[in-house]
Amino acid sequence: MTKADEFMSSARRGLVRVAPLILFGLIWHIICATGLVNKDFLPAPGAVAAALADLFKGGEITKNLTITLFRAAVGLVLGAACGIWIGVMMARSRHFREYVTPIVGGTYSLPKSALIPLFALWFGIGNVTAIAAVFLACLLPMIVNTYHGVVTTPKVLVWSAEALGTGERELWPRIFIRNALPDIFTGLRIALGFSFVLAISAEMIASTNGIGKLIFMYGENGNYDYMFAGIACMVIVAFLADRVLVILTKRLLVWHESAVTEPETRRR
Amino acid sequence: MNSAEVRTDAFAWRSAVSILLFIALWEIAARIHVAPAILLPPFSIVAAQLWHSTLDGTLAADLSISLARAFCGLALATGGGVVLGLLMARNRTIEWLVDPLVALGFPSPKIAFIPIFILWFGIESLSKVLLVTFACVFPVIIGTYSAARAVSRQFIWSALSLGSNRFSLFLHVILPACYPRIFTTFRIVVPVGLITTFTAEMVAGGGGMGATLIYSQRFFESPTVFAYIVVMLAVGLVVDAVMRRFQNRFLRWAEG
Repeated sequence: MTKADEFMSSARRGLVRVAPLILFGLIWHIICATGLVNKDFLPAPGAVAAALADLFKGGEITKNLTITLFRAAVGLVLGAACGIWIGVMMARSRHFREYVTPIVGGTYSLPKSALIPLFALWFGIGNVTAIAAVFLACLLPMIVNTYHGVVTTPKVLVWSAEALGTGERELWPRIFIRNALPDIFTGLRIALGFSFVLAISAEMIASTNGIGKLIFMYGENGNYDYMFAGIACMVIVAFLADRVLVILTKRLLVWHESAVTEPETRRR
Repeated sequence: MNSAEVRTDAFAWRSAVSILLFIALWEIAARIHVAPAILLPPFSIVAAQLWHSTLDGTLAADLSISLARAFCGLALATGGGVVLGLLMARNRTIEWLVDPLVALGFPSPKIAFIPIFILWFGIESLSKVLLVTFACVFPVIIGTYSAARAVSRQFIWSALSLGSNRFSLFLHVILPACYPRIFTTFRIVVPVGLITTFTAEMVAGGGGMGATLIYSQRFFESPTVFAYIVVMLAVGLVVDAVMRRFQNRFLRWAEG
């Protein structure tokens, strides 16, 4: 197959996949155009698109989206770094594991958004509260997945490395962490989803800016086309972030079998 | 006593020490005024408040409202998600139609949709129940879909050649084969349902654990804030323990 053919076939496949979404938009448009539901209840897709364009032109979206993404990203990075460290420590030291496990288990099932009012009390309204909530939500899946990945390292790999003269210090980065990488990326994908949810929740509950606040404010003021535009923007951003992470994971884990088998099981 | 029992004993002992140490540190830190009492009330006062809320029935009322919302939403999500997942696995048109919506909906932060749900379904229970449904339905669809795709062809062919029709094929072959996977997904989705309920109540009010939590915070009733957080933590732990027990008892056959 030539490059052009390949491009055409992948373009066609993309179109087939997107077609239901276009169909969905069309039905939405027809429902609104025929006046089947009140315009205030469900603004037409055209009106939402116009509102989105207006928000971009006025800079409201870019400004608030940057704030939200900043909070989500800082919380995610801190949570991932600490989570990986705690996960590795739990796998390394039995004592550490036995003391930490009940605390991890307890906070794992705690709805993290319940802490937002508490953080608001402690840190006031704004960045720190949102970042702390995102941090804690991202920390737990990272700990659990890192620990699982390190603990399930096949003995054969460790023995072979040792037989070939790898020292105790070398063993960690070269064998254990590397074996845990697929699990770490799984945890990262979960944490990425949490980071958006917690950042938006924190903004709705205790913030004066950010996209969560923006959406909520438009809802309370009755600017429903702008509210829908904000939500649509958030859905697209979350979708793209997830895609980028999946593609990145595949690139980085080409050597691992999970990167090869996944697409085949989907298209059977 | 064999060594395995000794190990679990030591483990339970260290866990207890760890939790008691945490509570003791909390109490001491609060008593020596590391932070003002409004930011960090001592554990004993929080426990007293918890006892008080239990006695006067406010806690039970809030908890039952929240749990009813969460589990109504979860039931709808599981029912709808299983049906959609099965249909997607067996029918190409439905798969083509629903797959992109699931792909777009799965990673989206569902809590952002709460203003839409309030607009459409009011600020009472209905909007929260449906938001929980919306938040939980995508993992159920994906879990059921991939479980149903993995059902061995032999089972399906055998059932068809023994004369079962499409409906009983679904009901007696494909669905039972998916049970373990559906239950695993359910276990993942229950915390999502609880979190969504609590958050929705915090944002929109209308009674329940989340609403009381946020009111207490606004009026700086810190012991109530802490007591409610402790209860939410306990709810999460208890629900997960119950499900694990259920899984061990009824889905043993799926292991082998």
